[in-house]
Amino acid sequence: MTRLVTAELLLIRKRASTWILLAIWTALALTFAYIVPYIQYTNDPQRGLADLLPENLVGTLLAGFPFFGGVLALMLGVLTVGSEYGWGTLKTLLTQGPGRLRIFGAKLIAVAAVLLVFVLVVFALGALASWAIAVNEGADVSWPGAWLLIRGLAGGWLVFAVWAALGMFLAVVTRGTALATGIGILYAFVVEGLLSALAREVSLLDGLVEFFVRANGYSLVAVLGVSTDEVSDSGPGSFSGPFVTGGQALLVLALYLAAFVVVAGWLLRRRDVV
Amino acid sequence: MTENTNLVVETNDLGKRYGERIVAVDGLDLSVRRGEVYGFLGPNGAGKTTTLRMLLGLIRPTTGSALVLGAAPGTPESLHRLGALIESPTFYPYLSGRDNLRVLARYAGVPAARIAPVLEEVDLASRADDRFGTYSLGMKQRLGIAAVLLKGPELLVFDEPTNGMDPAGMAEMRPFIRSLGRDNRTVLLSSHLMSEVEQVCDRVGVISRGRLVGEGTVDELRGREGLWLRADPTDDAERVLHSLRGIDEVARADGGLRLAAEPAAAATINRALVEAGIAVSELRPERASLEKVFLELTQEEEAA
Repeated sequence: MTRLVTAELLLIRKRASTWILLAIWTALALTFAYIVPYIQYTNDPQRGLADLLPENLVGTLLAGFPFFGGVLALMLGVLTVGSEYGWGTLKTLLTQGPGRLRIFGAKLIAVAAVLLVFVLVVFALGALASWAIAVNEGADVSWPGAWLLIRGLAGGWLVFAVWAALGMFLAVVTRGTALATGIGILYAFVVEGLLSALAREVSLLDGLVEFFVRANGYSLVAVLGVSTDEVSDSGPGSFSGPFVTGGQALLVLALYLAAFVVVAGWLLRRRDVV
Repeated sequence: MTENTNLVVETNDLGKRYGERIVAVDGLDLSVRRGEVYGFLGPNGAGKTTTLRMLLGLIRPTTGSALVLGAAPGTPESLHRLGALIESPTFYPYLSGRDNLRVLARYAGVPAARIAPVLEEVDLASRADDRFGTYSLGMKQRLGIAAVLLKGPELLVFDEPTNGMDPAGMAEMRPFIRSLGRDNRTVLLSSHLMSEVEQVCDRVGVISRGRLVGEGTVDELRGREGLWLRADPTDDAERVLHSLRGIDEVARADGGLRLAAEPAAAATINRALVEAGIAVSELRPERASLEKVFLELTQEEEAA
């Protein structure tokens, strides 16, 4: 399996889109977590500096994971599997010898590893940004505890993993990238976004929204220090609830991850490759 | 299905249907022997690629069964021992030729040291570090063959390997494929080009509308060599020919007479006709072309 994973990592590492997604992700994460809020703070010091300091690193960064971060993870998942259909390389891989599920497993592990890199890079750059702000403002530089940091990294990775698995699932279902990306973004922005917004007015939707990827993603990061007030007031990515408990969020996200992986693997194994 | 160790590919009533109406492959019984170059000949849409995909486990048959190298199609037991190039060569366009082979080598469990020799073998070493997307069709095809050779396979499967190539590329490719059939390796080559199959293959299976309509060596399919002559008057010539020994059949064809007779009998036949006062203006050996046999076989199937 190690051979297969290293092959997949070579494919992802050498692909320009991986680096483009990483660049977009880090740029968006740092812009919305530190750059824009810091400019706002310098214009209006009443807003406070607390969220921009190293101590609140985990909560400040995780706010971007369930929304635009998740969509970028979805695209990574779509591209990793969908392009194999588009280029016709899936049949080349399938005739090399390993079974279909081993190939899919190698892709999953490679994507999981790349998502961890995405998380670590943003946390490293976020730490650097928060340290620079603290030094610049003469504030104390105190870092979050190791346990919170580990839970933050794991939580961010889990949110990414669910979206990436959804992307891989859609790529297998649609046997390509374009439709899968379209459906994924439509689902993330329109279905989950609109229904979440409507849930405030239509009580029937409230229970349904509690099982959405976004609701559970935000609920998970809320437990790790993301301010619910802040995410309900952050433009197009805003989410004002309903929030569920951390335990439920963890369980629902884990179930989504497992479901997307199992169904995608089953379809890949079962269907003809033409 | 029991395994015959001399057969590398064996199918029994293999079929593939799409819905109720589309029958891509219909009850195919195919046998490819170890060490031969087997041509799978058929018009476009006859079911060649579908059959090959079933043999590689890419698509599932709806009827029948197959054994490839003694194992079920698509299993690691068969795939590890075969190399396949199905339709156009498909690789990652953003990777170099060498990196593409590196990926496949890892998937196939082949040492990376195999990559350089196969690139040399297909004469692609000088462009191996360029991106696959920049390759010409001929170079893509050669990289496809390098990928096939990477595993040192016992069975090589090529689906229309010269498709889209220029005449020079085709002329280069055919002896190369022929040479791959040495050293006890088996080659299964699908093509719709008669000349290609005629030049390259030991045995040929002709497929039409998903059914195997003929199988044998090229010589067997073309039938026995005979004679064709033009003589005047034709009626008298026909009568004389019927009276001669060694001529099994006389038939009018192409403005002359076609004889089922050994070509070595030409001088005797000529003398007999001349002695009977018949003018012989043309007498030559004749054998049905593979193209003619192919058209007859496929048209018979279509008519049926």
